Amino acid sequence: MLFNLVKKDFLLAKKYILAMVLFAVAGPIFIYSKLGISGGSFISFLITLLFVEYILFNMVAMTEDKYKGAALLCTTPYTRNGVVKAKFLFILVLFICCFLLYNLATVIVGSSGLERLSMSDAGTALLIVAVFFGILIPFQFYFGYEKTKYISFFVIFLTPFILPGLIQLYQELDLASPVQMLSSQPRFVSDWLPFIAAFLIGIISMHVSVKIYSEKNL
Amino acid sequence: MKAVLEVRQLTKKFADAGIENLDFSLREGCITGFIGRNGSGKTTTIKTILGLYLKDGGSIKFRGHEMKEHEQKIKSSIGVVLDEGYFYEEMTLREMKSVLAPAYSNWDDAVFSAYIQRFQLNLDQKIASLSKGMRMKFAIALAVSHHADLLIMDEPTSGLDPLVRKELMEILLEYMKEEGKSVFFSTHITSDLDKIADVLILIDKGRIIFNESKDDLLDRHAIVKGDNIFINEHTKKLFLRLRQTALGFEGITANKQAVYEQMNDVVFERPSIETIMLAYIGDETHVI
Repeated sequence: MLFNLVKKDFLLAKKYILAMVLFAVAGPIFIYSKLGISGGSFISFLITLLFVEYILFNMVAMTEDKYKGAALLCTTPYTRNGVVKAKFLFILVLFICCFLLYNLATVIVGSSGLERLSMSDAGTALLIVAVFFGILIPFQFYFGYEKTKYISFFVIFLTPFILPGLIQLYQELDLASPVQMLSSQPRFVSDWLPFIAAFLIGIISMHVSVKIYSEKNL
Repeated sequence: MKAVLEVRQLTKKFADAGIENLDFSLREGCITGFIGRNGSGKTTTIKTILGLYLKDGGSIKFRGHEMKEHEQKIKSSIGVVLDEGYFYEEMTLREMKSVLAPAYSNWDDAVFSAYIQRFQLNLDQKIASLSKGMRMKFAIALAVSHHADLLIMDEPTSGLDPLVRKELMEILLEYMKEEGKSVFFSTHITSDLDKIADVLILIDKGRIIFNESKDDLLDRHAIVKGDNIFINEHTKKLFLRLRQTALGFEGITANKQAVYEQMNDVVFERPSIETIMLAYIGDETHVI
């Protein structure tokens, strides 16, 4: 049943799917060609991934908010629980699609330097997605699409003012970066730890979202 | 007759409205009309039954099973038509069906196709381009294609032209021909229920005013017309509403037998459901 709800999200975003597929292939190639730095492959994948996931997730959330279709779904054997879980599954399916399309891009432009991602790179990207949507999804279930939109705008607006201070604080504390910490671990741990952390964050966020949504009047 | 749905002490409070301690049962094989003015609590009741609003108290049982504990199983036996549709309007009919149908283990594509053909709906049409009547027909096709035992409809006739409303009534009567089916139908257009309802429940300000069979209700009530000489402090109490002019009186009573015994030479007329409803909930300025 969950996959039918994921299919529903793809149907709601169908107008943008083709453009996003093209972007998922062309985006990393373009960004990599402009960056020209070491590790550029990972950065170009991550930027493309976050962009595709956020755009499609937002389009679906906007349509859900407009038509209140979740209310109709909850009059059927689909449960609120299922509606929430499907949102997380949608994000995971998008991640897998973006990953596959990125690999297609590396094949298309094999000689340009755009490399296939390592296991830990893919895990790190999934972890970043898990943190981002692990915060966004419960937030959106609690506040609704409109309020979340304004709060996100406010956060983005504040970021340039707060971020330099945070970076300065981080440098003063002289903490090892998560990437450094990860690379100093045995290969098996550095490969799998990001995936495990991503799934843990996803599960915790899912439970919080289920709790929030179970207390909502639809 | 067995109760298909039992609602006990159902309460849902909002800041400015809600429902309080509602008690009623829907009987198998009956069309139950749920009537009341706009904002009386009809939609709140239906949404609370369906779990869209979280109840503050009470219990809802479907064939003896608590709704909350057997939600998925019970919901596969219920068909729902909501007032505002709640469809994803950018989808086509086919896409919407492809989302909803897999939720039901007993979905019957043949029944769905038969209704789509009968209503002359185009599955490749976008829901946004459907008229209100067509949208309601599509909602009915979706609601009955999994052999639902109970059809819950929230204001399905609101905003529809009389022809489509008549067609809907015919569909409901057809649906009721199958054994074990029941319909719970909220409306403020009571004329829709004159022909098809078996039981009527009137709700006002979140409380049930009456809950009885339509025939009993119509038998018990009467419009009474006669000379003013019959009206005194004692007989006034027999009327829910009473209007007196220089030419005589006209009133509606819920105790036809008592009026009959205490007043001779008055005229009795059969009231409509709307007249009865307004007699209970119309404001002070309302006359018959």
